Amino acid sequence: MTSKFSVIGQRVHNIDGTEKVTGSAKYTFDVVLPNMLYGKILRSPHPHAKILKIDTRQAKKLIGVKAVVTGKDTLGRKQGIWRRFPELCDEEILCRAKTRYIGDPVAAVAAIDEDTAEEALDLIEVEYEPLPAVFDPLEAIKEDAPQVHDGVELNININRHIEWGDVDEAFRKCDHIREDQFKCSSQAHVCMETHDAVASFGHNGKLTVWTSTQSSYYIQRLYADMLDMRESDIRVMNRHTGGGFGSKFELDSAQFCAAILSQKLCQPVKIVLTREEEFTATKRRTPMYYFLKLGAKKDGTLLAKEARVITEGGAYTAMGATALYLTGFFSSFPYKFPNYRYDGYRVYTNTEPSSAMRGFGAPQSTFCGESQLDMMAEDLGIDPIELRRKNGMTPDYEVPGQAFIQSCGLHQCLDKIEETIEKRGKLPPNHGIGVASYGFMSGGIFNWFNTPYAFSAAVVRINIDGKADVFTGACDIGQGSNTTLAMICAEELGIKLEDVRVFSGDTGICPPDLGAWGSRQTLMSGNAVKRAAAECKSQIMEFAAAKMGVNIVYDLDIKDGWIHIVNRPERGVSYYDIVKGAIRGKDGVAIMGRGHYTPHRKGMISPAYSFGVQAAEVAVDVETGRYKLVNVTTAHESGTVINPVGIEGQLEGAIMMAGGYGYCEDQPMDEGKILNPSIADYKLIRSLDMPETEILEIDTYEPEGPFGAKEAGEGLTNPTAGAIGNAVYKAVGVRINDLPITPEKVFKALKEKEKKKKAK
Amino acid sequence: MINDFEYFAPKTLKEALALLDKYQDDCKVICGGQSLLVLMRQGLVAPPYMIDIKGIAELSYIKDDKDGLKIGATTTHRAIEKSPVVKKKYPVLAKMETRLASIQTRNWGTIGGNVCHGDPAGDPLPVLIALGATLTMTGSKGKRSMPAENFCLDYFETALEPGELLTEIALPVVPPNTGTAYTKFNVIESDLATVGVAVSVTLGAGDSCQDIRIALGASAPTPIRPKKAEAILKGKKITDALLAQAGETASTEADPISDIYASEEYRRELIKVLVPRLTREAMANAKKA
Ligand SMILES: Cc1cc2nc3c(=O)[nH]c(=O)nc-3n(C[C@H](O)[C@H](O)[C@H](O)COP(=O)(O)OP(=O)(O)OC[C@H]3O[C@@H](n4cnc5c(N)ncnc54)[C@H](O)[C@@H]3O)c2cc1C
Repeated sequence: MTSKFSVIGQRVHNIDGTEKVTGSAKYTFDVVLPNMLYGKILRSPHPHAKILKIDTRQAKKLIGVKAVVTGKDTLGRKQGIWRRFPELCDEEILCRAKTRYIGDPVAAVAAIDEDTAEEALDLIEVEYEPLPAVFDPLEAIKEDAPQVHDGVELNININRHIEWGDVDEAFRKCDHIREDQFKCSSQAHVCMETHDAVASFGHNGKLTVWTSTQSSYYIQRLYADMLDMRESDIRVMNRHTGGGFGSKFELDSAQFCAAILSQKLCQPVKIVLTREEEFTATKRRTPMYYFLKLGAKKDGTLLAKEARVITEGGAYTAMGATALYLTGFFSSFPYKFPNYRYDGYRVYTNTEPSSAMRGFGAPQSTFCGESQLDMMAEDLGIDPIELRRKNGMTPDYEVPGQAFIQSCGLHQCLDKIEETIEKRGKLPPNHGIGVASYGFMSGGIFNWFNTPYAFSAAVVRINIDGKADVFTGACDIGQGSNTTLAMICAEELGIKLEDVRVFSGDTGICPPDLGAWGSRQTLMSGNAVKRAAAECKSQIMEFAAAKMGVNIVYDLDIKDGWIHIVNRPERGVSYYDIVKGAIRGKDGVAIMGRGHYTPHRKGMISPAYSFGVQAAEVAVDVETGRYKLVNVTTAHESGTVINPVGIEGQLEGAIMMAGGYGYCEDQPMDEGKILNPSIADYKLIRSLDMPETEILEIDTYEPEGPFGAKEAGEGLTNPTAGAIGNAVYKAVGVRINDLPITPEKVFKALKEKEKKKKAK
Repeated sequence: MINDFEYFAPKTLKEALALLDKYQDDCKVICGGQSLLVLMRQGLVAPPYMIDIKGIAELSYIKDDKDGLKIGATTTHRAIEKSPVVKKKYPVLAKMETRLASIQTRNWGTIGGNVCHGDPAGDPLPVLIALGATLTMTGSKGKRSMPAENFCLDYFETALEPGELLTEIALPVVPPNTGTAYTKFNVIESDLATVGVAVSVTLGAGDSCQDIRIALGASAPTPIRPKKAEAILKGKKITDALLAQAGETASTEADPISDIYASEEYRRELIKVLVPRLTREAMANAKKA
């Protein structure tokens, strides 16, 4: 079948791929400016302490040190991304009176080189009065627990409630009810590029920042708040970026301290966090205690679900409020619960703040929900896939009072997965295949940031040579959004991909876009780019129609550089000639198109949702509990596929990340101190541990998305931990409700099982 | 942050030993740097003088003769892994190397550096102990040798005296009807061992266990030989019950730690499983030999 598209759906490599594999791509890490200084940050060694005194005199005397700043050098404002709720803006970044976790910044130094800056940190004397600290949210909500923030009752930072139907009544009607508890561990983002920034204040009082970020616009806006500046006096540029995964869309210590130091000196200051700082003093995935109640009829109809969740917030709100909300919303996914209730509490603790991470609360809810669903299936004697099919979401479904789902290919995904499992036939002993279904949003609608701008905006400019420049505030953080947006532009204009160049993530030249989070850029930024390109196209067509003198009832189109009458592609004129003529005809003004997108009347969560089902096969060594991920097959639907290579990359990366979440990644602590803050000690799965991966793309079309596309970024991280848990159970009959599912836990559970068997 | 230091790159053993004598406690030997640089980056070691022995050609060799195999201390892991004679005569050593770190690290890291680092979780020592290796150290006053199993004294502490270099690792000729096997348990492939077990078995008449050497890694402050477990098997016809007993005994002879990767209890349980498993594998290898 020939595709109706010429660019969309082609297997293309990232437009910046050559630069990256040859090492010539420049990251913030590579930025060097004349007169640039290097900064380092002094951090609290205490989980909770009063700052009594900071003496910086010795540090300032060290040769090569240019400035030392503390909280006193700031305006004392507090940042938070929930800008509509001042009480949730709770992070000073440079602490003035109190530190709340091991790693909280207290001072920063700028010096002629990194070694000198580091030496100076040792010369800063901070007098602390250690305070009692609390680390576990279940302890922190007790009456007599230490207060992380004054005046916050029971340390409850936020609570969220979601409810529809009559849950209590529905449970009374159920034939079977299960109540289960789960614990979801922490996870670090482990971006290849650590947080970094080069901040440069000019003598004109304007600030320019090069930084590794998921949202240049948010960083610009948060700087404006924290420094009391007008946002247009701040230019934030994201360069090539070595990963984000949710860790890079709040103002971080590298960005803030570099700016404060530069402001003092009017010299550029560069701060690159060390790997240890990256692990201990940025943000991380939210650990959660999950209490789930699920009720069903004998025939497998799920009547009601209740989720109670307590999350370990750490010291500050960060993006945790959203994780708390989304974990509650996605706990109902991807099923049609007629009755549902969620109560979530985010609790402050004296630990590194937890925040956004790929999947944003949904990997937690999916692990717990999908584990429990398999237990329910076993209790009812129903095949787990059948149970999912019976209750799964379908197109044009309304999540009562919450969201409206247009395209949904969940059932096709279930069918495909069932087929592949059948094809695998009888498995060797101690192998098991576990299944998990998932869904995710395609761009968040919630405007906690309170932006007055469109969620995404783009400008497309056609130059005299017919090539197009896309200006977008979207941030390519390695996920390939620049390639996706270039493909959308090329398709819309009917030109080649090579003829499109993308300028992104620079607030100085690009219209605002909320950035790369919430799996939003393909749909939202994609729509903006498509509309901007369409506006250019209509300007070109005006000129072409005049030039060609065609009957006005005919429609014109552009394909492969030819402008022709639709249905008569053989009769055309050169696109390039027309562009030249059109620009001349506009008194030499380049052709420009503007486009924007803000979802309206799409509920409060997302304009579209993607779905999928994953099957993971494990092989367990029953004597040691060690298991291997043998194969992970994913049936996935993300609407029209823009770039199959991009989706494969997202899928493999997601399995590596979510497989690690399910299998081994964790951040054990002792009194708030993270015990494995290095890549040697923090166990990530690596190439040798990767299973075979297969993707079965299901054809759907999302009316809200550009050319029918929707997300394929975060959703893919949701199912793996649950699928692994279910696979281990299938293989050897033990159920681990506490992430990560380590060999040692499996071993202990196997011993327990043996003991019980013997006792019988 | 790595400290500033003065760097020497001697080309001969003699030059290196003279430098060692001159700078004594103020200097540190570096070979591939794969262990040392990690410690230096953490600021745990900050020597004012560094003596790089990687360029000493006379210390990098694999020689096969009638007494067995001689490996120079600066031979890289990768050279051992790829050596045809090692693959043929000591396949367990080559196989162990394939699971040691990554290729990049094996290209730099050396067997001598690994042994001298004295990490109880290192892979080579248990294998060398099971194979009955002898280590030779050389100082300006001469050479001395000792069995590999006596080399480590405590966590990251070895029998090397100041002014000495490890120069050679000698493996005896493998006796007939002998098989050796090694595995490490780790959660992530190619990671350091949570527990490592090497077993060498010589079969006698009627497939009885004529001789056995068991070595455990990451199971005590140094690699150890659980001699009571060996005694249970030595001279016997091996049965599942005896193997289980040997595993049980080895796990009590071990003295493992609890850390963030595994509890002490789990490490003992792994020893219980792996000693019988590796003994079986060694026996199977012996039969093939
Ligand atoms: C990422 C990574 C993964 C690793 N994984 C593993 C693994 O899975 N298994 C494993 O066993 N090891 C592993 N290692 C450790 C490493 O491979 C070895 O310890 C390494 O081979 C040491 O050799 P080297 O030549 O680099 O020693 P160096 O680091 O140069 O030296 C190590 C120590 O030995 C001393 N020294 C070196 N040579 C001599 C000599 N001839 N005489 C006297 N003293 C000497 C040095 O002074 C120093 O104290 C890993 C290392 C890294 C970086």
